[in-house]
Amino acid sequence: MKLSDITAPSQTEALTLVFELAHPPEKIWRALTIPELMAEWLLPSTGFKPEVDTAFTFQAPPQENWDGLVHCRLLAIHAPRLLRYSWCVGDLNTQVTFTLEPDGTGTRLVLDHAGFGRDQNRNFAGARHGWKAMGQKLADLLDEQD
Amino acid sequence: MIGMTRSPEQENRIFQALADPSRRAIFEALTQGEAAVNDLKARFQISQPAVSQHLASLREAGLVASRRDGRRIYYRIEPQGMEPLIGWIEHYRAFWTERVDRLEQLLNRMDQ
Repeated sequence: MKLSDITAPSQTEALTLVFELAHPPEKIWRALTIPELMAEWLLPSTGFKPEVDTAFTFQAPPQENWDGLVHCRLLAIHAPRLLRYSWCVGDLNTQVTFTLEPDGTGTRLVLDHAGFGRDQNRNFAGARHGWKAMGQKLADLLDEQD
Repeated sequence: MIGMTRSPEQENRIFQALADPSRRAIFEALTQGEAAVNDLKARFQISQPAVSQHLASLREAGLVASRRDGRRIYYRIEPQGMEPLIGWIEHYRAFWTERVDRLEQLLNRMDQ
């Protein structure tokens, strides 16, 4: 597996990871959408169906201040190309998107996890416009701290 | 791994503080360097109490720190202030990288 991280250095809202996998999209698609297989690599789930608008949960190991539940809703599904679901943990309301592109005999898997620092509360929507302008300066400041 | 060990209240304070355009402008101005209330007042043409109130919100959110020098108080960016937000990204970067590694191991075991 080859991993590229193409998240912009100043990005504070989304994470974009690109994986080159030596398996065809159809096979990866099964691992992404069949609950028994999802449990083997991601997390055990309850209620998952490959239908848009299905609500389901992932069960992570519970912690002291968290029951371990990730609340999800299927937002888009186009076999074997694109899968998107919401990913909500407490106040964190994010979206995970898997995009599969054939690449020779393998697949380019793009994993985009978006919505950090956004939509946490709709009243704070104004904050999102500030991120881009401030992003680089903040990244620079944080770099200086190291 | 994907836990709630962080404080949502602190994140909310950051978003609340930065949701206001004037506060964002002040915050951004401070990224250029330390400044006193009077410097900021002149730059943004808003009243001193308004500037002070914005600075108090930013300080409460952990985004800005201050120091007193004689009768003046100087404000500066608190570089760690944004980390609660950036932290989620780092957290999930590690999470997904590890999970896709497991995905690949699963793919190797699966039939076509």
